[in-house]
Amino acid sequence: MLFGLIAEKAGTDRLTISAPDTGALRQALEERIEGLSSLSYALAVDRKITHENIELSGSEEIALLPPFAGG
Amino acid sequence: MSETKAPKKRDIFTDGPIDPTFIAESIAKHATRHDIGAHEIFLGQVRADMADGSGGRSSARTTAIAYTAYRDMANEQMIPIREEAFARWPITCLHVHHSQGIIKAGELCFFVFASSAHRQVAREAVAYVTDEVKKRLPIFGKEVLEDGEHVWKINT
Repeated sequence: MLFGLIAEKAGTDRLTISAPDTGALRQALEERIEGLSSLSYALAVDRKITHENIELSGSEEIALLPPFAGG
Repeated sequence: MSETKAPKKRDIFTDGPIDPTFIAESIAKHATRHDIGAHEIFLGQVRADMADGSGGRSSARTTAIAYTAYRDMANEQMIPIREEAFARWPITCLHVHHSQGIIKAGELCFFVFASSAHRQVAREAVAYVTDEVKKRLPIFGKEVLEDGEHVWKINT
């Protein structure tokens, strides 16, 4: 799932990408979405922000989150 | 501790602006709670800024903010913020509402409301919850400008 500025850059709010872990996923996403690598964003796995590289089974809910702007 | 109940599923999101009547009704609902001596409220209103969303200046005025959220994650992230507030301050209750969708300049988009026996407690809890919501909830804001352009708002 893509949100905000990232969804705008990608031109969609859903993408399907296969990757064995979050490190490979980040790399694939940065190749797929132009300008993503220069943006500040967080990767959430099952609604939790994940910094370290974790293995993916394919059933997780993955979201790319640009900087927050609530309030 | 083994008997702690699972936190209630709450949805903080409202479609469109927060109606001032809703705020008045929320206050009125507490009239039966005679242990409350103080209500503290924070209200966020959309500004017609000449800003670019992240501290700089834009060439056109903001007419509205289009809010989107990762709703399930935001509601989940709200649970520990509530728990932290109740653990730190003896508040009687805490209510948080945030808008989704297009909110025009001058309309309300954010409502934080805490009640307690005495004012200092409610005041500190509201300040804490307001700041943590801005920091920790995945809510995104697109500032719509009068010239038809837009900029993405970033909390600092």
